[in-house]
Amino acid sequence: MLGEAALAGLARQNGGQNGGQIGGLPNVSDPEKTYANITRQEYLDYVSQYRDFEEQMITEAQTDTSLIDASRENAQIASGIAQGVSDRNASRYGAALTPAQAQEQRRALERGNTLGSIQSVNDARIAQRELNQNKLADLINIGQGVNRSSLSQMGSAAANATQRKNAYDSAKAASKAQTMSTVGSLGAMAIMAFAF
Amino acid sequence: MGSKPKQQDYQASDGEKASASVAMAEYTYFKQKYDPLLQKMRDDSLGTNDDKTLRGRANADTMQALTSAPMAQQAMSGQGSEDLAQAYQGQLGIADKSAEDIRNKKQMNVLGTARGQASDAQSGMAQAANLATSEALERAKNKQLVSQAKMTAIGQVAGAALAQGMANKQTTGQKMGANGMGPPQEVKGSFFSPVNDAGQKVSGFNNRLAFSNIFGGG
Repeated sequence: MLGEAALAGLARQNGGQNGGQIGGLPNVSDPEKTYANITRQEYLDYVSQYRDFEEQMITEAQTDTSLIDASRENAQIASGIAQGVSDRNASRYGAALTPAQAQEQRRALERGNTLGSIQSVNDARIAQRELNQNKLADLINIGQGVNRSSLSQMGSAAANATQRKNAYDSAKAASKAQTMSTVGSLGAMAIMAFAF
Repeated sequence: MGSKPKQQDYQASDGEKASASVAMAEYTYFKQKYDPLLQKMRDDSLGTNDDKTLRGRANADTMQALTSAPMAQQAMSGQGSEDLAQAYQGQLGIADKSAEDIRNKKQMNVLGTARGQASDAQSGMAQAANLATSEALERAKNKQLVSQAKMTAIGQVAGAALAQGMANKQTTGQKMGANGMGPPQEVKGSFFSPVNDAGQKVSGFNNRLAFSNIFGGG
């Protein structure tokens, strides 16, 4: 089971972070690291368990013709069943068709089956297109949600990086100012002392 | 003067610890109980169980509708089979479409949930990154404060030393000649050593302490 494997992996990553249990509850001594490990593990779980599934869905949404294929097979099945029903009924009621009637019946069945097949395949094409489009739309919806989340995450990382850089620059400037101030004070004091 | 800050004063509160523990327990429970269910649903959504059920139902519906009544007339005339074939195909087509629709919905639900979890993971990671950033910034700020305090202390010590050295140089004393004859000569202190009134250099810890008059003296 993935759940067990993921939890085992998580426990390994956390190492001593969550050692021991208190009253049946796990002891989380470093929530920040645990949180990071969980979120990383969640993504790895998705990749290992659902990535292939998702790619299969994306491909199917663009290429699936199963309904159309099935409708062609249905035509053959329907023809056989209708013929069987007709034969059984004829036998049941003791109907003795003349050769002309039998031929007409065969023709009618073929005609009906062909028309039904055409109708069925055309309906299947429309249904297939509709289903594929819906599937693709759903996939895009999901993908867009993930994309939005990813961009938000990237924006957050970028903002953090800028914040760090600004803080570093500011700290560097403050340090330089402090040093200069100290040196200046010392210099001024030295000048005052030596001059007078 | 206050004591140094102690790390234990900055530990998580009992409430925070309990919250983290419960969250971890719930997460573990979810992974153990619900993750397998979602995977099962994923595998089910790839199967064809719904197709079989719905096609069976379509077959039954068609036969019930078209063959339940006596068909003597049709049997005698040899007509009606084509209608049955067409209706049967139509019903199977509807069954196939419904089955695929159900399958698609299942698959999207599974994927949406899985993606939702990954998405939560991402936003969680962003939050973790935020926490790490604020912590790193705080650490850097604290380091900077310590560094500035050190620099200030160095400046103060150096300033004090310079001031004291200058004060030492300002000291003067009257030193008598070598044989006690002649006019006294004025002696100035050096940077490191002041001179007393007698023109003698003040050296040694005790002498300097006495000279500084720091404890009042008299």
